[in-house]
Amino acid sequence: MEQALTVDQRWDLVDKITKETVEVGAYEPTLRDAIAGVTVRPLTGIPFAIAVLYGFWTFFGEFAGLFTDGFFVRIFGTHWIPWLAERLAGLPDWAFVILVGDRAVFAEEFLGDSCFAAGGVLTTGLFMPFGIVLWAVLALFLVLAILEDTGYLPRLAVLLDTVMHKIGLHGFAIVPTLISLGCNVPGVTACRPLETRKQRFMMIALLGVFVPCGAQIGMMEELVPGLIGWVFLTLAVGYLGFGWVLNKILPGESPEILMDVPPYQAPQWSNILRKTWMRTQHFLLVAVPFVLLGCAIVMALYTTGAMDAIAGGLEGFLATVFGVPASATPSLVVGFLRKDLAIGLLPIETMTNYQVFKSVILLTIYFPCLATFAMLLRELNWKEILGTLGFLVAMIFVFGGILNLIGMAGGW
Amino acid sequence: MMNHKSTFGSMFTVIIGIAALGFGILEFVGGEWGPLTVDAGMFTAWRAVILICAGLIYLSSVTNFLDVRQLGKTVVASIMIWIVAAMDIWAMIAASIPSGAEEAGEPWFASGTEFLAAYGPPYMPAMYLLLPSLVILYFVGRRRLAR
Repeated sequence: MEQALTVDQRWDLVDKITKETVEVGAYEPTLRDAIAGVTVRPLTGIPFAIAVLYGFWTFFGEFAGLFTDGFFVRIFGTHWIPWLAERLAGLPDWAFVILVGDRAVFAEEFLGDSCFAAGGVLTTGLFMPFGIVLWAVLALFLVLAILEDTGYLPRLAVLLDTVMHKIGLHGFAIVPTLISLGCNVPGVTACRPLETRKQRFMMIALLGVFVPCGAQIGMMEELVPGLIGWVFLTLAVGYLGFGWVLNKILPGESPEILMDVPPYQAPQWSNILRKTWMRTQHFLLVAVPFVLLGCAIVMALYTTGAMDAIAGGLEGFLATVFGVPASATPSLVVGFLRKDLAIGLLPIETMTNYQVFKSVILLTIYFPCLATFAMLLRELNWKEILGTLGFLVAMIFVFGGILNLIGMAGGW
Repeated sequence: MMNHKSTFGSMFTVIIGIAALGFGILEFVGGEWGPLTVDAGMFTAWRAVILICAGLIYLSSVTNFLDVRQLGKTVVASIMIWIVAAMDIWAMIAASIPSGAEEAGEPWFASGTEFLAAYGPPYMPAMYLLLPSLVILYFVGRRRLAR
């Protein structure tokens, strides 16, 4: 069996090849070299990274807000949903509930937001992916492609290398993490360059548990914008904290990675647009069927009374362990299919801020969506999949329980 | 000639560095002062930190300004300001397009007057730093010509 080279052996090899192949002459650094140096030195690089991430999130928020709040809430809420409810009013009750939603939402005295409250496959089921999530992921994929093609992403990896080493990973881990903020599926694929099974398992487990996808973030931005900062802070603490624990308890090595850091360059817009389109197309193909299926399942469970039975059965458990009301049960049920849909179905108006916060965290950590789970089956062996599931279960109880205890102590 | 440019460059970094530092502190304080405003929002602290750091990076590159490493720092500080200002402008553009009306029959897009009003003052601090920070492009251009 071949042994991986140690860090020192790799550097020796690099030195040897360099000596034989590179001729060193006088070289005056260019401005581009100087900028590259400034952006990887912690003292200047960290503030620059904060500025880049600020641009990332602000662009994302404004872009998604422009389309969702500016146009799509009205397209669906004022035109599509009322029109559909009128056209399909003659359907049998069960079919109307599944396709359009609860009839109470269309009564004159209803004052809520029909886009979310209706719940039907052709109403909420279409509003969530096309009215909210599409614009969020489009913005995330666009910015991500720009960061990749300018050459900033590898520099961010170099900058974060020291922090990531504390949890047994490398700065490179930021690449799959940022990709996962768009969609967990390509994020999991991006873990392939990690050399050892330990590193891959750790990274995939952390991505599956602690990194919300663009669709989820889009829903949070729309429904709980004031809580996003806290949600991300909590997830970051979990990512680093449990990464450290996994690194300590898992056997195996975390060898160094030698990464190619290309020079900064102006991105080619044709490439950026192609990448963004390919990723968005993939998202639509993967996400939309699951959102529609999720809506159909939830409304079918409602209409048969099964949802009330499940909620009744889980009420005590949810309240005791996590401090979450039984009305959050439908979200937890569809969370297995799509987490964005799950967040959209949270009964926010009947919950306290802290309960909403805990529920959003729980929905993020409790199970990867079906598409990501299918990806885990491809990338990990059965032992690692069982390990990941064990990690997930442990996280739900440990993290959810801790948050609940903090809430109880704070009286929230 | 080089000395002139270096002195001008150093003066530029001192002035814009102090201005960025001051505006960054104003972002933390929040409020409205004539044509200058600071909206308290989710990212106020981020903006404040970015402007303060940009100010400090400018000030750290005052001496030996024309050295490529110092110039690199000034360019990076300017890019930080451009990111914040670009996002302020992007927020204005996003706010200026839809009408905000929710009822059927009302216009979808903002009227000409509403559209223009969205671009009027008061402005966020980074907007005031945007134009002066573009001066760095002059030094970058001169350097390119000299090479």
